[in-house]
Amino acid sequence: MSVVRAAAAAAVAAIPPLWPLAATVAVNPFLGHANEPLALTAARLERAAGVQITPDPASIAEQFASGRITDADLASALAAAPPDQRPVDVDALKLAATATAAPRATPTFADLAADATGRDWPAIIDERFGAWAGAFFDAGQALWAAPHDRAWTAWRATATHDLTPEVLGLRGFAAFVAASPETIDAMLARGVATLGLPDEAVEQYFHRLLVTLGGWVQVARQRQWTAALSGGDNDLPLALLAIRLLWDEALFVLQGDGPTAWPAAVAEFARPVRATLATVAAAIVQDAADRAAQRRLAAILSAPASGAMTPEPRIQAAFCIDVRSEVFRRALEAVDPSLQTLGFAGFFGLGIAHRRTASDVVEARLPVLLTAGFATRAVVPAAVDVDARLSARASRAWDRFKLAAVSSFAFVEATGPAYVVKLLRDTLAIGHATSAEPPPLAEPPLSLDRRVAAAEAVLQAMSLTRDFAPLVLLVGHGARVTNNPHASALHCGACGGYPGDVNARLLASLLNDLEVRGGLAQRGIDVPASTHVIAGLHDTTSDTVTLYADDAPSPAHEKLLADAHRSLTNAGERARAERVRRLPRGAGSPLARRGRDWAEVRPEWGLAGCNAFIVAPRARTRGRDLGGRAFLHDYAWRDDAGFGVLELILTAPVVVASWISLQYYGSSVAPDLFGGGNKLLHNVIGGIGVVEGNGGTLRNGLPWQSVHDGRALVHEPLRLTVAVEAPRDAIAGVLARHGSVRQLFDNGWLHLLAMDDDGQLAWRYVEGSWEAFSATSAPIRTSEMFHAAA
Amino acid sequence: MNWLPFGAPLAMLLAAVVAGTGRSRIVEGLVLTALACALATAVLLVVAGAATTPLLGLAGIGLSARRDIVSATLLLLIGFVGWIVVRFTSTYLDREPRADRFMADLCLTLGGVMTMVIAGNLVQLVAAWIATSLTLHRLLLFYPERRAAQRAARKKFITARVGDVALIAAALILAHACGTTDIASILAAARAGAIPSAGAAAACLIAVAAMLKSAQFPLHGWLTEVMEAPTPVSALLHAGVINAGGFILIRFADVMLLSPAALALLTLVGGFTALFGGLVMLTQPAVKTSLAWSTVAQMGFMTMECGLGLFPLALLHLVAHSLYKAHSFLAAGSAVERIVAARRPGPVAVPSAGAVGRAFAVAIGLYAAIGAAFGISSAPPQAIVLGAILIFGVAYLIAQGLAEAAPRALTRRLVVASGAASLGYFLLHALATRLTADVLPVPPSPSSLDWALMILATLSFGSVAVAQALFPLWSGHPAVAVLRVHLSNGLYANAVLDRLLGGWRRPVSAEFGR
Repeated sequence: MSVVRAAAAAAVAAIPPLWPLAATVAVNPFLGHANEPLALTAARLERAAGVQITPDPASIAEQFASGRITDADLASALAAAPPDQRPVDVDALKLAATATAAPRATPTFADLAADATGRDWPAIIDERFGAWAGAFFDAGQALWAAPHDRAWTAWRATATHDLTPEVLGLRGFAAFVAASPETIDAMLARGVATLGLPDEAVEQYFHRLLVTLGGWVQVARQRQWTAALSGGDNDLPLALLAIRLLWDEALFVLQGDGPTAWPAAVAEFARPVRATLATVAAAIVQDAADRAAQRRLAAILSAPASGAMTPEPRIQAAFCIDVRSEVFRRALEAVDPSLQTLGFAGFFGLGIAHRRTASDVVEARLPVLLTAGFATRAVVPAAVDVDARLSARASRAWDRFKLAAVSSFAFVEATGPAYVVKLLRDTLAIGHATSAEPPPLAEPPLSLDRRVAAAEAVLQAMSLTRDFAPLVLLVGHGARVTNNPHASALHCGACGGYPGDVNARLLASLLNDLEVRGGLAQRGIDVPASTHVIAGLHDTTSDTVTLYADDAPSPAHEKLLADAHRSLTNAGERARAERVRRLPRGAGSPLARRGRDWAEVRPEWGLAGCNAFIVAPRARTRGRDLGGRAFLHDYAWRDDAGFGVLELILTAPVVVASWISLQYYGSSVAPDLFGGGNKLLHNVIGGIGVVEGNGGTLRNGLPWQSVHDGRALVHEPLRLTVAVEAPRDAIAGVLARHGSVRQLFDNGWLHLLAMDDDGQLAWRYVEGSWEAFSATSAPIRTSEMFHAAA
Repeated sequence: MNWLPFGAPLAMLLAAVVAGTGRSRIVEGLVLTALACALATAVLLVVAGAATTPLLGLAGIGLSARRDIVSATLLLLIGFVGWIVVRFTSTYLDREPRADRFMADLCLTLGGVMTMVIAGNLVQLVAAWIATSLTLHRLLLFYPERRAAQRAARKKFITARVGDVALIAAALILAHACGTTDIASILAAARAGAIPSAGAAAACLIAVAAMLKSAQFPLHGWLTEVMEAPTPVSALLHAGVINAGGFILIRFADVMLLSPAALALLTLVGGFTALFGGLVMLTQPAVKTSLAWSTVAQMGFMTMECGLGLFPLALLHLVAHSLYKAHSFLAAGSAVERIVAARRPGPVAVPSAGAVGRAFAVAIGLYAAIGAAFGISSAPPQAIVLGAILIFGVAYLIAQGLAEAAPRALTRRLVVASGAASLGYFLLHALATRLTADVLPVPPSPSSLDWALMILATLSFGSVAVAQALFPLWSGHPAVAVLRVHLSNGLYANAVLDRLLGGWRRPVSAEFGR
């Protein structure tokens, strides 16, 4: 591979993927930097993007002043930092971390050309690139779509005829494009040569260019990601790089002499990135902030718990590990001591490719790290499906009538006045009762062996292999919101950005299947005949739970079911009362209806505030208020012979949670680079993402309104602390086998703590070894944790 | 009682004052009061008929309210859309820094539009016209640091000031010729043929002002770029403020008829903008941008209706479009779900040339049948032509149903929907014509120029409609791809304007001088 091609591949690898909004999931924006520590990535992104990826000095100073981060936290973080660049003592650290310096990106050629000519070339490139990319990635907004072709060819075909750059002053651009090489590789090589970039500068320069493309190149990365899952590759990111490089090259060639500052910029790109004193100090302070949070967590876990559970639960309810479930589970256990809750990844171990009623679209309802193992469709009579399809097609034809040239005039004059009714209905949030989807059915049908194997694997992974209660609820989650482009970000990440109902219902049907139970019994899992399983869906916006009891009616369980309904209703009330305090206008806008308000930009807080992941039996956390900030995964290591389940947990749900936590982190500390922008300006483009205002760069990550309440951040930017109750050797063994997971911990993107037999935080993982965890550094108020960022 | 219409802008003014203190419940209450005043005005019109209050002021300068079907309809429209937008804003901008200022500007803008539509005299109309534009300017720059917002607002500002000059000149000519600023008297004079040459000159100036205000080609660029302000501004602009252009054409309909040249200009520019905007809209991948181009097209169509002398239909179009567009902008967040939903039922059935031919035949049959029921033979030729243009649109719906791959049941549903749309459209036309009969003039009998324009319009809208229906069959041609590039960039009219106005300029840094 040529130097240029290798540099391009490396630069592309630093870009995180971005899933389209139709079904989006959280992505770790630092995914491409997991192999290096925060201080180095911070320096790298400062150069490539001109942003700071640690909290701003003002908020740091405030946390020092308020005592939220104590000197003891700082001292322990300082002691743990690599010695070479760290400040000499805590005072020096504080000084370095609160000094303000505006981060500055190394300029691209377009930046310098703008400075030299007074014409805003970077903005023009953003606008032109966005105009092309919007049409290229369009999933169905424009009725007159752009011709389908490979990106580089498609762009050249467009740019050869687009006169805009010429009109705006770049004479000869179209001809320049027409004369450009036909292959991406040749283009990259020529661009590098024209701009006079030495080999050492190429990767950083490419990274710098890719960063200016924002979400567009991230969507391309997602295509590449999906291709890689099935063993393929996709050169889309490279094509976008070639386009961006051509712009700089064209400015270089067509604008005459290069600006005088260009050689200095090239030299900067050629210098290897090193952590700076400032980024090192910021990273140490971040570590101290994380330690302060661990201190608060330790206090909660060691304080006396409230409420006891009856010894033999009548109802077991399994929820997603999602931090939003923590609030609801705590409420549910409080209102019903005979109820036991469990935490497990919300796709319930079944990777499903699902088709809903009257739909050809296959929905990948599983973590994006995996490929689907099951195919299902909604069970409906053929006549119903045909009828639903006809309605959908008629309404689609009507929409096209509404949006096409000429016919749109007829549409307006014939039906415009009817919009009085629509405006009233949406303003007052009337109507819109959605009918429940029918249950999923595996298609083709699964053999008994597969069903038994799937059920066994899931129960093992849930640590639920004995002591079944008479009623078992499997509760997935989704968010019922309206008029919200980011709705899928509020659904279940483990279900690929869809609600978790289908997965829960499929598992319930497997576990109620008598043949499957027979097979399970042969493998040592006895599900009593008196046990009945019902799936449900937790609407996280209104905290109501829908149970799909009709999927498999059981008259014998009617009384229990009624009890479950009552408990869920009471728990919902309690959970809402807790959540309403954190939401703006909470009192004035009942949460039960909040999701239906078409003007609401903060229907719920999603996973904002998440900072801990606890892998332990629920008994360790039951009766303790974790404030909706902890992922809770049930795990009993003594039942896990060979630690296969532990391996699964650390390599799958923990990685997914790290993506979520780091997405919140990135969107909070670097909203310009890793944030979704201002919801008030969002303009959905191509049905796949949003731009702010007229167009330009596609946004990625969480919108500002999702991490900020207008006065302060609601997400405290912390790195996730994973606390595991398991033998340290077993944990280390898993890490040894999974280098990609280990580097997340080694480089500090996640923290790892081991719990002792009493469920207390006892050991800290530090680059391959363990040291005693100490939480005694300062007096603690346990209430701090919940009111921190609210 | 005749002063009642002023209750609406007065309530909005109060709402603007209260908005500064952040009490959103009271603001909404006041906006509802304005809506109630608008409703009461409409009731009063039915009960007591049209009237103008005496002038509260001196020498023709002051306040007076005109109550007729035009002012009452638009007041009610603005009141209703205003309430929806204000209510939306109070939730949408909750906790946004400077939200109070935003709400105050929103209420002021709404009050300005209301003052304009009820104006009984020229001075009030012109003053409110200008004031509205200035408060809107503040809303467009709600995020003053955004370069794209500055660029759009600057274009809008310059276009608007040119329009102001045209309107002021028209007002001066009319006031001078008639010796009064009272609009009812001026219209009466125009109808009586008392001001032929002054009226014609004023008509030309009004046409220019209206075209600038309603974003007609080639000065449409600002409208497609004002998504740089929060969504409610787009809803307000596209559903309220943009109507000002159409409003003055309809308000001065009797004056407009004095200048066949002005009318021909409106027909030409409006018709071209309608087709141009409609085609550009088809290529836009971003939902709000597509909606903005749709507004350009719809305003073009409305302008063309005015040019054809079909003022009642233009009024209907304004109202219908405003309601539709306010909803579309506020609901723009559901675009993701809408696009996924469109993919679910599988591929779209593409009609063949034969099916499209049959669809047009069915549509024309439908037109003839419903038209006969509504006594179309006695309608003016302009209305017949317009009806034909609209029925071309309905043909598109029928064509989708007649596509060979479409199941019979779908065909039935779409034909029924087409019939319902045609019926709805004829009913509304009849209603609009009837309600405005005493106030708005009937179209003049067409001159040979008018006939030429009408034939041109029919042919061009007809061919675009046919092309649209046959779309996937020809879109693969390389020349079409090139056409698409030019169209998707709005034929560069906006880029040229940006270049002329220095929209992409930024300070030269001394450090980097060559």
